[in-house]
Amino acid sequence: MSRLKGIYTDIVKIRRMVFAELARLALKDAECEEFDKIPYRIIDTEEATYRSSIFKERAIVAARVRMGLGMDYETNQEHKLLSEGIRDFLNNDNQLKEPLVNVIRFACEKCPTNAHFVTNNCRKCLAHPCSIVCPVDAVSIEEHAAVIDQEKCINCGKCKEACPYEAIVNYERPCAAACGVEAIESDDYNRARINQNKCVSCGQCIIACPFGAIADKSMIYQLLKSINRGEDVRAIIAPSFVGQFGPLVSAEKIVAALKKIGMEEVREVSLGADFASLHEAELFAEAVPEQQPYIGTSCCPSWTYIADKHVPETRENISDSSSPMIFAAQSVKENNQNSKVVFIGPCVSKKLEALSDKVKDEVDFVITFEELAAIFVAADIELTKVEAEEEISDASYYGRAYANAGGVAEAIRQNLKEKYEIDPPITKADGLAECRKTLTKAKAGVIDGHLIEGMACEGGCVGGPGTLLATNRGAKNVNKFADQAPYKFAFENDKLNSRC
Amino acid sequence: MVKVKICVGSHCSLVGALNILETLEELQEEYPDQIQIERVECLDKCEDIKKAPVVKVDDEIITSAQNQIVISKVMERIK
Repeated sequence: MSRLKGIYTDIVKIRRMVFAELARLALKDAECEEFDKIPYRIIDTEEATYRSSIFKERAIVAARVRMGLGMDYETNQEHKLLSEGIRDFLNNDNQLKEPLVNVIRFACEKCPTNAHFVTNNCRKCLAHPCSIVCPVDAVSIEEHAAVIDQEKCINCGKCKEACPYEAIVNYERPCAAACGVEAIESDDYNRARINQNKCVSCGQCIIACPFGAIADKSMIYQLLKSINRGEDVRAIIAPSFVGQFGPLVSAEKIVAALKKIGMEEVREVSLGADFASLHEAELFAEAVPEQQPYIGTSCCPSWTYIADKHVPETRENISDSSSPMIFAAQSVKENNQNSKVVFIGPCVSKKLEALSDKVKDEVDFVITFEELAAIFVAADIELTKVEAEEEISDASYYGRAYANAGGVAEAIRQNLKEKYEIDPPITKADGLAECRKTLTKAKAGVIDGHLIEGMACEGGCVGGPGTLLATNRGAKNVNKFADQAPYKFAFENDKLNSRC
Repeated sequence: MVKVKICVGSHCSLVGALNILETLEELQEEYPDQIQIERVECLDKCEDIKKAPVVKVDDEIITSAQNQIVISKVMERIK
């Protein structure tokens, strides 16, 4: 997990202020020219605070505004006012397109790539094990300290482990270190570049970059304009939502606040999770091991993209069952065919899942908890003072616990035990790098017969980049809310009867 | 006993109050008898979001509060 996850920095602040400004302008149906003012509203000092110049600070905010509207990144090589670009975009299809996650190239500080360095902790000791253990003779003992020849060094790390003074550090680009699928490369100017053939849009690099140089696109504007036009918009909210808006804001208050901003209805995605866990249990019972050697879960889009892009041999064994998001959206649209559905979650890659041909008719918008918090502020809704109206009781304990790592496999296992008397062996992959490793194992046949859960974000969905809470706090809230569920198991959930 | 009131309303939560609360609660675990934390709805000081988050340490109101400032104010009073 990136070290920056859960820490509130000025990067987080600027990101959220941009969201709040976009929401404010969307809510008041502002003219395109108003968007030109956002960089000045957010960076309102006379001198630079964060970077080499205030003009650069504002240009970076402008790039964030573009992507916040769902527009493509632009290289700044041509003169174009923000408002002109926005007008073109809004007059055309105003739909965001891949790539979802982008480097704001002129914000990238070109950190050195993976390398071992000797720091001034080095005492030029007599033993100098660093040079002795080096397999490629890259460490020499110079006048004042050990020196690593970067041409020769293969980054094996042996010298770092051998040093008695902790004098050798492994320096990695934080974005690349956070990327478990090695999608971060360098461009001709040595800035970070995302290889889209490898990227699974998990969003971990957005959180990890200490210069705030990576951003994803947003649908805040499209969502709020749809509500403004009077369309019938209904929300489905992911299981990790509890507690994300502060300790005094109950789940019921969040639901009431969503209705205040114009949602006709709010449903728990955990309802879809109950449906998905039953469906995947059925698939497992029918197909493993006779027709397929193992089953991987379907709910994390980045996990399925890892299979697509990195270990394609395993893709057919990742469940083709739809994700909880799709089931929840279908259950809303069943009775309200002309409605639009917004998925609200912790997830960046769900934005991409929602653009796919299979899903685009089910889910119309995807926003994160962080983006929603900014909408509440822009709409001047004080969450702590909202009157809670109805109780929400859509899902089972195990459906609500889907948001924690391990929760998905456990829910499916409970169904398998009860309905099919099967207690399958389980493998859980927690985090991007582990997901990839696990799929490689699955390909090799080492975990045949297993139910395999993949979660690209460490800790599960509660560790997603769109959360406001630290991962462990989010997990605690999810467990507490799961304890209050009206049903224990998915198969007890009578709200599913119509669909099972 | 240091009394800390921290606003966890919409504005303050968006701009870092939840993280300050987390740090305060961790500090409280170390000094359980010396810090009292009250999470409050709104201290009516954040009409401009630039003043959020708002934290009150005993009688002192801190606007645009940041982790390190709040913690140092609390520690000053403990020691």
